[in-house]
Amino acid sequence: MRKYQPKRAALIAIDVAIVVLAILLTAITVGYLSNYKIIMTLLLCLFWLVAILFAAVLLPAYFSRTVIYISPAEISMKTGIVYVKRHHMKFSAVQYVSTVTTFMSKYTGLNFVILRAMGGTMILPFLGVEDVREIEELMRNS
Amino acid sequence: MTTTSDRTVKQHPLKLFSYTTNYFWLLIIPLIRSLYSISLDVDSLRVWLMGTWMDLLVIAAILIFAWRRWEHVYVRFDDRRISVTKGKIYSTCDVIYYDTISSLSVNQSLFLKLFGACNVTIGTNAGALSRASDNISLTLRKSDADRLYARVKKSRAKSLRYSVTPNKIRLVLYSFISSSTLSGTVVILAFLYETSRMFDREVEAQLIMDTLSDVVNRASAYVSPVVAGVSVVLIVGWLVSFVTNIFYFWSYSLTRCSDSLYIKSGLIERNRHILALDKINSVDLRQNLISKLLRISSLHCDCAGYGETGRSETSVVMPIATEREINSTVVEIFPTIPTESVYHKPKLDLKPTYQSYWMFYYAPLALAILPLTAFFVLFALFPSWRSVIRVGLIVAEIPAIWLIIVKTLAIFKTGIAVNGDYITMRYSSFYTFHTVVVPKDRIVKVMIKQTYLQNLTGNCSAVIYTASSGISKHVITGLRLNRALAFFEKNGVDLYFE
Repeated sequence: MRKYQPKRAALIAIDVAIVVLAILLTAITVGYLSNYKIIMTLLLCLFWLVAILFAAVLLPAYFSRTVIYISPAEISMKTGIVYVKRHHMKFSAVQYVSTVTTFMSKYTGLNFVILRAMGGTMILPFLGVEDVREIEELMRNS
Repeated sequence: MTTTSDRTVKQHPLKLFSYTTNYFWLLIIPLIRSLYSISLDVDSLRVWLMGTWMDLLVIAAILIFAWRRWEHVYVRFDDRRISVTKGKIYSTCDVIYYDTISSLSVNQSLFLKLFGACNVTIGTNAGALSRASDNISLTLRKSDADRLYARVKKSRAKSLRYSVTPNKIRLVLYSFISSSTLSGTVVILAFLYETSRMFDREVEAQLIMDTLSDVVNRASAYVSPVVAGVSVVLIVGWLVSFVTNIFYFWSYSLTRCSDSLYIKSGLIERNRHILALDKINSVDLRQNLISKLLRISSLHCDCAGYGETGRSETSVVMPIATEREINSTVVEIFPTIPTESVYHKPKLDLKPTYQSYWMFYYAPLALAILPLTAFFVLFALFPSWRSVIRVGLIVAEIPAIWLIIVKTLAIFKTGIAVNGDYITMRYSSFYTFHTVVVPKDRIVKVMIKQTYLQNLTGNCSAVIYTASSGISKHVITGLRLNRALAFFEKNGVDLYFE
């Protein structure tokens, strides 16, 4: 049985994107709402609270809690923060496998494997390029 | 290679109109109206043409494209397969061998009957890889549809094993129970949409408002106008649903041969279906609160293509059977299913415990709180409308109270049982009680789900996905996590992560 976990690089990439988005929203808010100090302050607080909540609390918790086990016949995954979900799918049920790789995913870890069965799907999130290749190989040999 | 039994046919010309855009009628109606209003002389016609030549060109282009599309669809079938060829420049050809067909449905509504046409839907498990709309849908002449139906029937085993025709009183009872205001309203809306494409919207709206206000005025002599108005809408919706069901299920008959099910029904419209028994993914005994109290249920099945083109009622295999009969009925129709799986009180291996009963009341509480919140907000904003708002609250709370009763009953009916190679899942989804029986090898995914609160209290819900042409999931609520994990592990699904 092999164990996989989401790549730390993906967490860093998403955190960076969140901070950039928050900075952009801050710039826009300050630019357009500087005459309405109270609304501007409230919005800025909201943006940064959400950004910090996601970047420092929710996403790290999601990444550390997600774990995937693949055996020669089946695949199991535990994931989630608010909703904790334990998934289980037999390889025999899988009809085909899709892999999603993004730009520079070798460094960002933004790769996904989607297992499609007749009547349900299972998404394995934020995997490294090597992990994706390994899983594809496992599926091919199963 | 073409053989003597090959038959190549074209679709019925009616199909041409479904190839035009939905907005085609919006263009053509104002044109006809303006043409109708002009006087009959050459000058007027010339003026009309000068003003509408662009619209006429667009309509002509739409019709030409639709005709070209219709012209290049060929349906060819012989004793073994059917092929549908589409397109001239970019051509596709779908070939389906009869032994891979999950379901073949031939429906002839009253409208199609007037033109001698039939809708034919062919479902296969290939569509399951992407979406249900991958079923092949054709509109054929009745004679061609009959020939295709006969060919597919000929390719199946002929040994008759079981045949049943529910009596008319039972069919009326089933139509009565399964009719809902919601489905009736959907049928009315579909009808209004269709007519609005052909008639003047203002006239149509005026006609409906006149009729409704007349009925409401009469009813207002006995009850308040708001209650009368809401009641009329609900009753009309329910009646439409009831009549539609009667028309669909009248003369219902089911025949089982060794490899297929043959279903026929319809009062004015005629519906015929062939289902491949080995391609039926699951069977589902459904009950609502009334049918549960009357101890009757209806038997549905999940088979690619069957019941996907219409309302949910159309996936029915046996519209109505009493609790005493249901065991023998299922055994006769699906002989491989163990008797214990469908018995109306099957022994459940995994069921809710008293610590998790509260999980059943999430949905009713949400449904009850929403109108209550709206009541207080509206009451604060419009205090003079107190009586109307109060009536509205009472009407809106009825579904929540109904759901509380359903969920309370569901507590004692929910669970999972394993019998040989089959799994039985009993659960309630909104107002419907389900008993789903599925072979173990048709379970594609199992998920155990916990909210934050459930995580703290050690409760969970099991979501079981079964093979289907769409997403088919069965949610069994109110389970203890440790028991659920042990149950699934015993059945070859290891969900322990420690």
